[in-house]
Amino acid sequence: MKIEVFAALKNYFSKEFEIADQLETVADLRQHLKNINPSSSQLINMCRFVVREDLVTDTHRLLDHDHVVVLPPSSGG
Amino acid sequence: MIYITEKPLDLPGILAESHHPAAGAVVLFSGEVRDNNVGKKVDYIEYESYVPMASKMIDQILNDARERWNLHIAVAQHRIGKVKVSESAVLVITASAHRSEAYASNRYIIDRIKHEVPIWKCEYFEDGTGVWGGNCNCHTETGDLNKHIYESENG
Repeated sequence: MKIEVFAALKNYFSKEFEIADQLETVADLRQHLKNINPSSSQLINMCRFVVREDLVTDTHRLLDHDHVVVLPPSSGG
Repeated sequence: MIYITEKPLDLPGILAESHHPAAGAVVLFSGEVRDNNVGKKVDYIEYESYVPMASKMIDQILNDARERWNLHIAVAQHRIGKVKVSESAVLVITASAHRSEAYASNRYIIDRIKHEVPIWKCEYFEDGTGVWGGNCNCHTETGDLNKHIYESENG
């Protein structure tokens, strides 16, 4: 699946990258990202996940071809 | 309405289009770049957004405010890219029959934009360093990434 990250997450990951591993849920993806880069753990724990422009919860089931967007906490204004 | 733009926000132009015959009150909020933060001199701020979702969410927030306060006008625009000191990064205009609704709804809209909408700031200081910051951390209090504490509801 394709992963796209924003803002402070770019300090830990490429802007866009592929994950070949089979991951069932958003919770699995969250853990997988922490495993790839353990120093991102604190930030990853605070992130929201988006699939097809909808916010999804940790129990949401992922498909292999999903494009998942990872959003750090907002800081606009 | 364009909600997210790389261009400078046209405050006078948007205000000029935000008058309504039934509105006795118009409130304009402009969130601007301050020259200092946490004791350091700020040179400029760079904003980034996940635009399709940010636009959809601002549209929904404005609709919620229109409905809740019976507004005649509710407008918001956020700039992305490099924004210099004293320039406007975000604009909210509300117009209603009386001022209490215009003020309350304006605060509600800016609060929700700051906490919920996928927009992020990176502050660049005069020494050349940059820091992503000002993150919403309401979840440490609410225990839920989607539950926020808004100034407008608490003060």
